[in-house]
Amino acid sequence: MENTALPFTTDPATGPLAASLGDRIGPWMAAFEAAGVALAVLDGAKPELPLLGCTAAFTARGGPGALERLRQAGPAAAREAQGRAFRAADTPPLFLAPGPSEGLLLCTLPEGEGQEDRRLRAQLALSGSAAWEWEIATGRIAGDTQFAAWHGLPLAGAALDPSGFFACIHPQDRMRIRLGVGGLLRGAELFSKEYRLLGPDGTVRWVQARTRCWPDAQGQPARLIGTLTDITEQKRTEERLRIAQSAGGIGTFEHVPGFGTAAVSGTFCALLGLRPVANLPVPLVNSLVAEGDPSPFDRAPPAAPGPAETRAFRIRRADDGTPRWLMRRGEYLRDADTSELRFSGVLYDVTATQEAEARLRTLNEALESRVAERTRELDRVWRVSRDLFFVGDAEGRCVSANPAWQAALGLPAAGLPGTPLGALVQEEDRDMLEAALAQLRHGGADVAVELRMRHADGTSRAFSWACIPDEAGFVAAGRDVTRRNELEERLRQSQKMEAVGQLTGGLAHDFNNLLAGIGGSLELMQLRLAGGQVAALPRHVELAQGAVQRAAALTHRLLAFARRQTLDAQPTAVNVLVEGMLELVQRSIGPHIRIETRFEPALWLTLCDQNQLENALLNLCLNARDAMAGGGLLRITTANTALGVAAAQALDLPPADYVRLTVADTGSGMDAATLAKVFEPFFTTKPLGGGTGLGLSMVYGFARQSGGQVRIDSVPGEGTAVHLYLPRHGEAAPQAPPAAAAGLPPARPGRRGTLLLVDDEPSLRAVLREALDYAGYTVLEAEDGAGGLALLRSAGPVDLLLADVGLPGGMNGRQLADAARQEQPGLKVLLITGYADAATLGADRAEAQMEILAKPFRLAEFLRRVERLLP
Amino acid sequence: MQILLSELERDALTEIVNIGVSRAAASLRRLIGAEVLLSVPSAEVISRQAAAAMIADREQEPLVAVRQDFAGPFSGRALLILPAANGASLVRAVLGDSVDDAEALALQDETLTETGNLVLNNCLGTMANMLRESLTLSLPDLDHGAPAALFASGMRPEEEVAGVVLFLYINFSIRNHDIRGYIAMLMDMPSLAMLQQLIASFISSVMDDTAGSP
Repeated sequence: MENTALPFTTDPATGPLAASLGDRIGPWMAAFEAAGVALAVLDGAKPELPLLGCTAAFTARGGPGALERLRQAGPAAAREAQGRAFRAADTPPLFLAPGPSEGLLLCTLPEGEGQEDRRLRAQLALSGSAAWEWEIATGRIAGDTQFAAWHGLPLAGAALDPSGFFACIHPQDRMRIRLGVGGLLRGAELFSKEYRLLGPDGTVRWVQARTRCWPDAQGQPARLIGTLTDITEQKRTEERLRIAQSAGGIGTFEHVPGFGTAAVSGTFCALLGLRPVANLPVPLVNSLVAEGDPSPFDRAPPAAPGPAETRAFRIRRADDGTPRWLMRRGEYLRDADTSELRFSGVLYDVTATQEAEARLRTLNEALESRVAERTRELDRVWRVSRDLFFVGDAEGRCVSANPAWQAALGLPAAGLPGTPLGALVQEEDRDMLEAALAQLRHGGADVAVELRMRHADGTSRAFSWACIPDEAGFVAAGRDVTRRNELEERLRQSQKMEAVGQLTGGLAHDFNNLLAGIGGSLELMQLRLAGGQVAALPRHVELAQGAVQRAAALTHRLLAFARRQTLDAQPTAVNVLVEGMLELVQRSIGPHIRIETRFEPALWLTLCDQNQLENALLNLCLNARDAMAGGGLLRITTANTALGVAAAQALDLPPADYVRLTVADTGSGMDAATLAKVFEPFFTTKPLGGGTGLGLSMVYGFARQSGGQVRIDSVPGEGTAVHLYLPRHGEAAPQAPPAAAAGLPPARPGRRGTLLLVDDEPSLRAVLREALDYAGYTVLEAEDGAGGLALLRSAGPVDLLLADVGLPGGMNGRQLADAARQEQPGLKVLLITGYADAATLGADRAEAQMEILAKPFRLAEFLRRVERLLP
Repeated sequence: MQILLSELERDALTEIVNIGVSRAAASLRRLIGAEVLLSVPSAEVISRQAAAAMIADREQEPLVAVRQDFAGPFSGRALLILPAANGASLVRAVLGDSVDDAEALALQDETLTETGNLVLNNCLGTMANMLRESLTLSLPDLDHGAPAALFASGMRPEEEVAGVVLFLYINFSIRNHDIRGYIAMLMDMPSLAMLQQLIASFISSVMDDTAGSP
């Protein structure tokens, strides 16, 4: 290598002339250099013989040392030596060319004996190889420059003896090499071994020695000729490769297609479960390969060098029979020796990868089949379900719908996508739908809503929908509840009818009792009249009137429960009212019960029908009395109550101010089951005939109709407290309750006015007419609206229209009154009604200036009202 | 399983066998005219069964073996073992295409035996030369069968079981003839001891080379 660093050198002492000489000899020197000649050119004209140039070979082979000797000998000696060799101690002989040519002195180093071609040597030197020769007869071992350098020899041609040769070999390798050399000396032809060479400077390099034994004429070993190649780098690479292979579990192999064996690495054998060997029969390896899988070996080489097919195949390991997956990779290379294609490749275990892939594949397949199965199930549900399924987007438009839509609503599912759900819902329910959709949009997890939908045939169906949000939209399932709703309605109806039956039964019982009393009295009166016993009559009349009054009270209570009684609401001071009732109450409940009152002094006014309130109070007190058979304390309390939102909600009332009237006893109390039923009509805890069972239900009806509420607290054995809530009224102070009428006013002589009486009930009409006659009025009678109107037209103006509200023939009392006023504007009207029907009477009855008289009434009351209208 | 021989002795033996096998391969090459690949020999002292297992490990087919006993300072048996199916190929490779199949079949055993004799003679002869001893070689025989049978053939029963043998294992393979085989050398303990001595003297003579003359 160092030779190439000095291809052409000049002596700095030569000056300009020398430089021009150097220019001239340059091309020549290059030619000599290329030829590998050891040549130096000196300036012979100068006594110090400066060097003009030399070849690398000259320098490499010790030329400079010989040149120095020549200069020491002087120019004269140099001239003498021209044409022959100049020899000096310990330097190679220098051959001087004969005769100077233009002052140039040419020196060459002659070839040494027994040396190989120097060009080959130069090449060996360049390639990191050394050539050497062992002369067996003399034991002289010599080599080229490289060999000399590696073995610490001063110059090429210098020799070693065998002990010196072996001394340069690493002790661990020395015996092995000696054996190999021994083999050569005893008849072996070839020797190829690697060993560690110890350099003169202490370096250790791996070399490969290849040697052949040359026999002499007698066939006896004469000389060993060989080369040494530096394989240190190769060894390192091999070492790295070996570590990489063993650490990576990579086996290497080489195989020339056609041969029955393959060169393999230890790891290759280990992968197959075989003992480590250098060669394996191809059939053996193939026998381990699973049937049907490809062999790692090819039968025939490809056409050109290049990467070979990558193959995965299964084997059964030779040692334990375990199945493994192996992968083959490699390339076809052009074999330097035979120029044939040789496969050089690797083998490695991919079992884990393959198994993982297989597991993943199985898992995927299982997952797919499960998903498919689930999808099929869902699809079946989707197709078979009778419930409606609706997948909607965020705007409520249909994305998809199931076939049930056809059966349930006559709508083909295929036509639904794009249709808003709202368009399918009846208009009245669209607000509810919007509210539900808004709820879903705002994160409602499970929204239920009942919507009526229109069937294609025009009928209405009710669907109960359950909706859940889904990605961008929602999914809804709807169940047809039309039938269920109908059934519920029917059930309610039948329950109502049951209640009505109970009610009418109870009523019939009570009325029959009263009728018996009335009828009996009348019969007795008839008997007395027939017998002329007039003095006995008033007692019977009193009895009959008592029965009639009880009957009137009964119907009143019924109507109160039905919340259809005609309430005459007045601003009422409850304290005053209760105060006025106390005497009556005390008399009703008897002396064994003490009454205690606690009045709120600043009690608010309330707006209610005072008679009804009195009735209610009396009812509650009587109930309390019955609960305290052995005596006790009755406490009547009033209070102002401002109900907040929560309290109002608990009482089912709007939040506002209320007056509370509480009637509490210390009696037997009620259990929960009884409490639950106390407001039902005709429910009673009293013995047969003890009461109608309408008391509390009437109180309830009155409270509700007045915009209030009733609540009962009761503990069995401790007592009951009934709280009556009535709304606060902010208007003026109450009037004194009107005094109850006593009897008919005395008959008045002369005609006082004309009245048109319209009622479809002949008996009532007859009674009223007689009373009016008695009072001195002229009465025109009709049995329905049309008749009444006709009479008005034919008979001319009247002073007062008296009409029952409920008339047959398509025109009710109110309508008749309106029509009559068309005929006779400003006509005074008194409507008689059995119950308050707001729709019939109209909300404007006050401004319509129509008086109302609720049935039943006493004739005295009736005549007083008529008299008030007709002064 | 490595017993008896030191590493140096094994290296020396390997060297000796290498020389012998080189010669044998050269003879075979000349005979067949095709390239012969030879593995680096491995020499191990192992049990007879292990030797049989080593072959069986690699060959499932029936085998054929050319057997030659040798006697001298050390005695034993040398085997050239081939898969039976390879025998025909070897015969074809040796005889060339000039003979027809019937003839080749008729000549198969004879050809195999002669080929084995050539290889084994070269091998053993070279070794004897190296060790500066002479060996008497028996006439070659041909055996067929499974590896265990081949190793046991002609042995005394007690050796079959307990025998520890030197197993020289050389793998060879001939280009384009799908021929491969093994050369095995079996020796009993006394012969091994003798061989060891010879190897030792071979080593010491090699050490003398340092003096400059063989």
